Amino acid sequence: MVQVCVGGNSVEKKIYVHLNYTVPCVRLLNATHQIGCQSSLSGNVGVLHVLESEDNLDWVLKSGPNPPYLVILESPLFTRSIMMKLKNGSRRVAGVVVVAPNANPLEAFSPHTTCPNENSGVYSEDYDPALAHCNVTVWNPFGNGLAYEEFDFPIFSLKDDNDTHVIRQCYMEHNRAVNGSTPQYPLCAMQLYSHMSAVTNTATCMRRNDIDFSISPEMVCDPLGDYNVWASTRPINNTAKGHKMWESVVIAAARLDSRSFFFDIAPGADSGVSGFVTLLAAAHALRNATQEAPPNRTILYAFFQGETFDYIGSSRMVYDMQNNQFAVDLDNVHSVLEIGQVGLHTESKLWLHSDPVSRKNSSVLFQVRKLIENLQSAAGGLNISMDEPSVSQPLPPSSFQRFLRARPIPGVVLEDHQSAFSNRFYESMYDNAEYLNISYPPNMTPEEQLEFVTDTAKALTEVATMVAKALYMQAGGSEPQLSSIKADAQIVTRLLYGFLVRSNNSWFQQLIPSDLMSHLGKPTNFYVGVTQQSSEPTLLVQHLLANLTGSTVNITQENCQNQREDENDKENKHVGWHTQREGFCIRSTVRLSKALSPAFDMREYTSKDYSTWTESRWKSIKGRIFLVASHDLEVNPSPHRVKDNICKADLTHLPSCNGLKGE
Amino acid sequence: MLQGKQEPRQITMNLERLPNEEKLSLCRKYYLGGFAFLPFLWLVNVVWFFREAFVKPAYTEQLQIKTYVKRSALGLLLWVAVLTTWITIFQHFRAEWGEVGDYLSFTIPLGIP
Repeated sequence: MVQVCVGGNSVEKKIYVHLNYTVPCVRLLNATHQIGCQSSLSGNVGVLHVLESEDNLDWVLKSGPNPPYLVILESPLFTRSIMMKLKNGSRRVAGVVVVAPNANPLEAFSPHTTCPNENSGVYSEDYDPALAHCNVTVWNPFGNGLAYEEFDFPIFSLKDDNDTHVIRQCYMEHNRAVNGSTPQYPLCAMQLYSHMSAVTNTATCMRRNDIDFSISPEMVCDPLGDYNVWASTRPINNTAKGHKMWESVVIAAARLDSRSFFFDIAPGADSGVSGFVTLLAAAHALRNATQEAPPNRTILYAFFQGETFDYIGSSRMVYDMQNNQFAVDLDNVHSVLEIGQVGLHTESKLWLHSDPVSRKNSSVLFQVRKLIENLQSAAGGLNISMDEPSVSQPLPPSSFQRFLRARPIPGVVLEDHQSAFSNRFYESMYDNAEYLNISYPPNMTPEEQLEFVTDTAKALTEVATMVAKALYMQAGGSEPQLSSIKADAQIVTRLLYGFLVRSNNSWFQQLIPSDLMSHLGKPTNFYVGVTQQSSEPTLLVQHLLANLTGSTVNITQENCQNQREDENDKENKHVGWHTQREGFCIRSTVRLSKALSPAFDMREYTSKDYSTWTESRWKSIKGRIFLVASHDLEVNPSPHRVKDNICKADLTHLPSCNGLKGE
Repeated sequence: MLQGKQEPRQITMNLERLPNEEKLSLCRKYYLGGFAFLPFLWLVNVVWFFREAFVKPAYTEQLQIKTYVKRSALGLLLWVAVLTTWITIFQHFRAEWGEVGDYLSFTIPLGIP
């Protein structure tokens, strides 16, 4: 009996082709469920099958002679009905690979649920049963809920490039059943590894994290979270927490994060970027006015992280405010203006959403009316028209809902949709620059693209100007200053380019200190990630906000890093100092506040009030393809025949096959 | 091999060469030792002395040895029954027991309940 030693590297290279770019779907857990995908510890092996249509599923699920199959789906077939059928037939399904297209599909696709954050917002049975669970408006009608299903096989995503073409060719040559004949061995197969360590729910995995007396204590999951970025127009003493006398604050909120079905892919163009870019531009527009003629109230810009997963950031900030752990508390909050999804306003129309239940209180109603009036008058002279949706419609999913859960505060959420989202790709990998129509003329260098003002940028600049003026009026600013408040389209287009096209550009490089430069990648990933790793968007927004709202100070780098004006300065001023590249220092009020769900601090892992999302840990994620021989060969192996077959297939462009051609 | 009264210690004990009193004392030691939560001693007792107790022609100490072997077998069966029951229950229900199951486990498998 000839024995083939697979352990040797050179033999391994002749048998397996490793997949370069693999994006898995990972397991996430909350108080009651686990969602996502799981593979077996030694990887799932399946015979490749490129699914041609939904009827072709019959081959995979019933009639195919070589189960288990690894199904390759082109993106139009990645639908709920096909995935549910595959989920039910999971004994014959080893895994699924989705080929991500190069251009957005035509049909809507949203893997999120139809009613995002349904149990963690303000609309519950106690608040108003008629408005709970999206009874009045289904916010995300295109949502198929795939991202919240549990699959017991791995699901990977591959780009539509040469490697994927090789895989399709392999299928065509070896695995395809022609004219009803069964395909003969050897067959093309793929193995996917994405074994997740955590199971059941957050309480179980956090308990297993903590167990002391096992031989090798292993962490199995981590809570999701990051940092919120906040800044104020007037310095607020951050060392003295709790209520501040005589301080009245208008909160301008936006959310930073997004997600998609697959891990670490979350372009979040309309759902996140459009909102916070508008707020950044508005903060920049207000810089001069708030310094020269400071209004009565302080404006607090808040960028929340983790909102996709049951409002991690905003629930933490409200919790801190309630427990005197934040610089101000809820009594100091005058009103809230939140910028939601504003990237897709068709016919330049924006909608001002407010909460119908709190408006029943006359003083809250009065303040909301004033805020809406300020917004409407701020829009005068700009190319935007604004309207309110019907009075009885609840608020869309927004961070402001967590503030309302604590107490009735007047507030408005600015959105580009009247009732259901106009975003057809909410929280999916297609919510990208292409969807927002950010396009550049051909043959432009990256530098030119950075400076080119797109139409989307122009539209968002108008919105930013409007928001800035409205905030200024809401904070009690004086009329004459209003005409000087204008958002800069150049800044907006650079922000959009940096966050949606390419973050490694010259403007961002100037702002980020050199030791953090390596974090910049290609399209920014807005997935909130686990608390241990601070994510790229938080870092970028922190430094951008400092640059856009702060002022340059002429001090040495060492003093800047030590947060002092010069050697003699021992006071702890209420501002922060940021080093930026090229040796200049910015003084600003930008701060980070922890965005970790209070459920983890209080150790209530089954909490119904706060987010309990955690992400499982894993050992290795990879995939490889190879030809699998029939079972008879396993008894009487003939390695020469198998090797020949691999190289005769269209894998011959592999360098390892060149040596064999002569044999 | 070696003849004579004083024989060097061998790795495996050869019961043939022992006088009957020593066989009885050995059997007793193993029987008593098994009560210290050591059922394997009883297993050894049963296997080793089975021949002595039931197959060989009778001699004075054989009755005692027979009693010890029978009792060891009984004890062994009891242990096997208890352990089998407990192991079956634990393997089946550990996941459902949640916290208790985790605290009773020495190593918890990753990725499966």
